[in-house]
Amino acid sequence: MPDTALDEPVRRFLEILGPGSVITDPVRLRTYECDGLTHHRTSPGVVVLPETAEQVAAIVRVCARHGVPFVARGAGTGLSGGALPRTDGVLVVTSRMRRILSIDLPNRLAVVEPGVTNLAITEAVREQGYYYAPDPSSQQVCSIGGNVAENSGGAHCLKYGFTVNHVLALEIVTPDGDLVELSHTDPGYDLLGAFVGSEGTLGITTKVTVRLTRAPQAVTTLLAAFDDVESGGRAVSAIIGGGILPAAIEMMDALAIEAAEAAVACSYPEGAGAVLIVELDGPSPEVAHQFAEVRRICEENGAFELRVAADPAERAAVWKGRKSAFAAVGRISPAYIVQDGVVPRTALPEVLADIERISGEHGIRVANVFHAGDGNLHPLVLFDDDEPGAAERAELVSGRILDLCVEHGGSITGEHGVGIDKSRYMTKMFSEDDLATMQLVRCAFDPEGLSNPGKVFPTPRLCGEAPGVRRGAHPLVESGQAEQF
Amino acid sequence: MDPELIGDCVHCGFCLPTCPTYVLWGEEMDSPRGRIHLMGQHVGGTPLTPEMAGHFDACLGCMACVTACPSGVRYDRLIEQTRAEVERAHRRPLQERALRALVFRLFPYPRRLRAMRLPLRLTEGARRRLAPRLERISPSLAAMAELAPPVPARVRLPRRVRAVGRRRATVGMLTGCVQGAFFPQVNAATARVLAMEGCEVVIPPAQGCCGALSLHSGLPEQAVRLAERTLATFERAGVDTVVVNAAGCGSTMKEYGDLLGEDRAQNIRVVDLSEYLAEIGPVATRHPLPVTVAYHDACHLAHAQGIRAQPRALLSAVPGLRLVEIAESSICCGSAGTYNLLQPEAARDLGDRKAERVLATGADLLVSANPGCTLQIGSAVRRRGAGPIPVAHVAQVLDASLRGLDRAW
Amino acid sequence: METPFEALRGTGVPVEPAAPGDAPRWVAYPGTTAEVAALMRVSAEHDLAVVPSGAGTKLAWGNPPERCDLLLRTGRLTSLEHSPGDLVVRVSAGLPVGTLASFPGVAQELALDDPLGAGTVGGTLATAVAGPRRFRYGTARDLLIGVTVVLADGTVATSGGRVVKNVAGYDLGKLLCGSYGTLGVVTEAVFRLHPVAPERRWITVEPDSLAALDGLVAALAASQAEPSAVEVDWPGTGSAPVVAALVEGTAAGERAAAVRELAGGHPARVRDEAPGWWNTLPGDPGGVLCELRLPPAEVGRTLREVTACGPVRVRGSAASGVLWAAPPPDVLPAFVSAVRDRLGGRLVVLAAPYDAIEGIDRWGPVGALPLMRRVKERFDPDRRLSPGRFAGGI
Ligand SMILES: Cc1cc2nc3c(=O)[nH]c(=O)nc-3n(C[C@H](O)[C@H](O)[C@H](O)COP(=O)(O)OP(=O)(O)OC[C@H]3O[C@@H](n4cnc5c(N)ncnc54)[C@H](O)[C@@H]3O)c2cc1C
Ligand code: SF4
Ligand code: SF4
Repeated sequence: MPDTALDEPVRRFLEILGPGSVITDPVRLRTYECDGLTHHRTSPGVVVLPETAEQVAAIVRVCARHGVPFVARGAGTGLSGGALPRTDGVLVVTSRMRRILSIDLPNRLAVVEPGVTNLAITEAVREQGYYYAPDPSSQQVCSIGGNVAENSGGAHCLKYGFTVNHVLALEIVTPDGDLVELSHTDPGYDLLGAFVGSEGTLGITTKVTVRLTRAPQAVTTLLAAFDDVESGGRAVSAIIGGGILPAAIEMMDALAIEAAEAAVACSYPEGAGAVLIVELDGPSPEVAHQFAEVRRICEENGAFELRVAADPAERAAVWKGRKSAFAAVGRISPAYIVQDGVVPRTALPEVLADIERISGEHGIRVANVFHAGDGNLHPLVLFDDDEPGAAERAELVSGRILDLCVEHGGSITGEHGVGIDKSRYMTKMFSEDDLATMQLVRCAFDPEGLSNPGKVFPTPRLCGEAPGVRRGAHPLVESGQAEQF
Repeated sequence: MDPELIGDCVHCGFCLPTCPTYVLWGEEMDSPRGRIHLMGQHVGGTPLTPEMAGHFDACLGCMACVTACPSGVRYDRLIEQTRAEVERAHRRPLQERALRALVFRLFPYPRRLRAMRLPLRLTEGARRRLAPRLERISPSLAAMAELAPPVPARVRLPRRVRAVGRRRATVGMLTGCVQGAFFPQVNAATARVLAMEGCEVVIPPAQGCCGALSLHSGLPEQAVRLAERTLATFERAGVDTVVVNAAGCGSTMKEYGDLLGEDRAQNIRVVDLSEYLAEIGPVATRHPLPVTVAYHDACHLAHAQGIRAQPRALLSAVPGLRLVEIAESSICCGSAGTYNLLQPEAARDLGDRKAERVLATGADLLVSANPGCTLQIGSAVRRRGAGPIPVAHVAQVLDASLRGLDRAW
Repeated sequence: METPFEALRGTGVPVEPAAPGDAPRWVAYPGTTAEVAALMRVSAEHDLAVVPSGAGTKLAWGNPPERCDLLLRTGRLTSLEHSPGDLVVRVSAGLPVGTLASFPGVAQELALDDPLGAGTVGGTLATAVAGPRRFRYGTARDLLIGVTVVLADGTVATSGGRVVKNVAGYDLGKLLCGSYGTLGVVTEAVFRLHPVAPERRWITVEPDSLAALDGLVAALAASQAEPSAVEVDWPGTGSAPVVAALVEGTAAGERAAAVRELAGGHPARVRDEAPGWWNTLPGDPGGVLCELRLPPAEVGRTLREVTACGPVRVRGSAASGVLWAAPPPDVLPAFVSAVRDRLGGRLVVLAAPYDAIEGIDRWGPVGALPLMRRVKERFDPDRRLSPGRFAGGI
């Protein structure tokens, strides 16, 4: 239903951007109704496709003036509904802001627009022996702006860290429409660090300066097959306990392997109850030494087959199964939920056993793919959406897994973000005071609550009041539109 | 449109960066994920609006999205079904209808196409003078004129070419409509290469269109008729393997099973030329060719048939030949069958993008396995005002090497 | 009516009157987060300005607080909980960072160098200082995975957690890095640890002039032998710089030899020990100390340009583009303007005698200052936490 409150803003957007970059046709709008998490859907009020930071700032100023909420969207691959639009709001899509603005190898950095894909940065500097380290599985498609918003990680963040460790500066449009630079060289509060991972609730990123990393001298990838997840898990603990910090340690269980086989025929060792992918990189002598260690540890912990990828093609073959795992479960199940939770690594065996138990109790299969090195689980909860009640049971299992993570001192999300999907779980992890304090940051950036409202935090909160001092109910609370906690 | 197939899409977006229209416009509706979403909307009861039809029409059918999709979404099937639905349910504006009618009456019929060739072909000078006017009157006709290659001498192929040396196999050869009309020299080279590699080549003279153009444009009935005729022709010629040198034709013929039923299609095995040559292995001597070659992946070869390694291997095996990769090799050049005729602006933008990357390789020669691509990239290079880059088919390069010629393009 | 002192005492926390004539009126020694919260609540009720302090190594940094009623010493906040299997440690803010350099029984460490030697966890976070290995491991903000903070009104908030990977909610820990005690009192921090490298080697190179510096640093930093640090020490005008790189891990000797090859003909040595100046600040305690931020490829050029100002001792992480500089007080004005105005670098005067800093903008232009001010207004609307210590009156 067209929202007449948007008529005037739309007229202004047309002036700012021209007709080719403002979408109002309902059929077209609906293609933006969800991101990678498809069970939350809302058609946006209007979609705009700016090409410059100034246009973004102008759009946001119009929103601020008219009190219209706005949501940023990159490639729409988010898995927590962070880019879920609002019918009464504007969806600001960065897919036309995809220029690499500069590459400065002597200072090891690149400046890019937010719509540039993660992989495009690496591709631009690969020949010169550099790369951009964070590597989410979605790297060929997800935007760097989305990575910044989600503080995305990847298989290699065990050694190299997350987006936040590789972003040197941002240009952002604040929710009142100002262009501001946040830089790692700023003295004072680390606003850059606080902005990364804020899921679009503190403003829109319009320019990103990333650190480029020197390509390692040697890379060795090892695929180890185990009878079961437990022995694989023991190997992981022994590797880390042995003082080795691999670039990545990934594990897949039997069901996940089955899916990957079906999708990309990755030919992992037959009969494996779990496979471990261990990648070592760095100076050649160090890699050689660590490789011997890892090999020994895997064998000692019951690996029945070890494969070593020596060249990039073999390495790609080993990774192919892992990288396609999420989307691949589509081959073995009509529907599924991708969960993302974290437990301390030492709790992995216990939590995995619990997941298996819960899965059995509810008759819902769970495939496990995880960043074993840092305890980041990605259980894939499989169900048949045609079977009555299955979706509800899957949802239940999925939620129980998050409970397990929190019970073990972990987190409800390691890399996919809170978005719309997990905001209700935030109270399990954080106290009211914790959330109220985070809200102070929100209010500092966005007192009107226009930037991606309704995401991350469980209830809409108001910025009018000073912390701790509550003077009667806010009008919005009285009218039932908002809740105060 | 099959809701099951639509449901296979998990909305992960992995297909976005390989989709040429998304690369151009950066809009969800013109990405595979967006188009599948639109199909879903239609299946869910939304009437087929002109906007929707426009986004389907803008799809090149390059199938890059099929290659990219980890969930195995059959976008090829989906878009075929959708195009048929669009033809059925959507009434296009008059001018557009007339153009489509012209294209579909012309292209699938080699003889009509040959007859059209002369009037379309303009001299360089006339083209330059005419192009802007033509562009105003009809961008599509301008595209046709711009694309039309020099009129080649008519090459008459024999019905049967004997194997050189010991005969290793007998194969049929498809001549193809566009290939046959505009690039007869490619067909001649193909026949010679097969023969020199020990194959007896059967070339039925009365071949028609394989049905690809009709199928990709939502005209399944016409496609079935043409496919049936093609099969019958080769069956009569007594071969069980048909070698195809045009990527678009090959990919369609490999799907005759879906079109006509597996039983009907099982007597004839369809293979791409480079796929076949890689399979039987070389016997003829390769003579050196000191050229730098940029190999262009034709969508219907790389994406639809998964053939990427074989042509590269064949080319690299030629002594002295240096093979270079073109950046963004998986992105379509904008040719895509009749696309450059029906969506001229987008096709031109994609052609320009491709030409830029081809020229950046600094190669002496551009090699591709599809006549449409060759036409398209060749004209984009001309448009850029860069000295024309010679283009050739894999068959021509091999032919030159096997025969010890300096060049054959 | 209870006096502020009585109220503070009423929390049960040891609180003493400060020495007569000192800026604070009282000094408190809380031992738990709850005690800090109790003190902060009392301070809120009595409108007391509070300045948190650790070992006091950097108390002279930044502007002097405009007002200080209560000095909150974190020295009794000393708990430590190490989870070796998870490579994580949870510590209270009063512990010296140095105590986290080793743990009994396992070869793990917090890979954060403290150039001041005795700095506490809280103070290190608040001033965002780091040493040579920032090049490889980043600074405190990169190693911090969870934080507990007490706000001006006594609210206790936690963000992050005990796992390295965690993107739930805003990262308050990052916000507090560099906050100079103006946003809240950090009481606990959780850090990720790294395995201790089995071997270490330092490669020192002595280029004959500053002109060779940039090429040398770039080559060392880009080396695939992966040094953990590339530092420079420059005694000042007229002298040549010394560059030192650290290689850690297995086969350190072999890798160090590879790094030495990059010296490009300048005298170079591989050593088992760090050079004496490694991970120390230049200049004298009580003197001037500046922090410079430059593009790493411009360090040498910058040093050449500032020679004209007078004798300035410079040391720091060349490959990260973060340097410490200790100009004599009389050279400070010329030095500041050379770096900021002529070279476009960032410079903060961390410490300086009062008369030397007169008329100099300590922090320089900060583009994000309006946003920082808005954050401060939300966290500490009454300006009671280290008021005025940071730029723009924050
Ligand atoms: C198959 C698959 C695998 C994945 N694997 C990983 C993985 O390994 N690791 C990982 O971390 N994630 C992974 N993801 C999740 C997802 O790809 C990341 O979260 C990614 O960073 C999202 O980028 P995007 O451009 O698609 O952002 P979107 O989905 O468009 O948006 C995500 C969030 O960012 C905000 N946003 C986007 N652009 C901006 C901007 N310019 N300014 C401010 N806010 C903005 C949006 O409002 C939204 O809240 C995966 C997703 C899929 C589908
Ligand atoms: S077939 Fe090609 S143009 Fe069509 S949606 Fe797929 S990738 Fe895009
Ligand atoms: S890659 Fe496949 S599953 Fe993913 S959005 Fe594209 S079509 Fe859908």
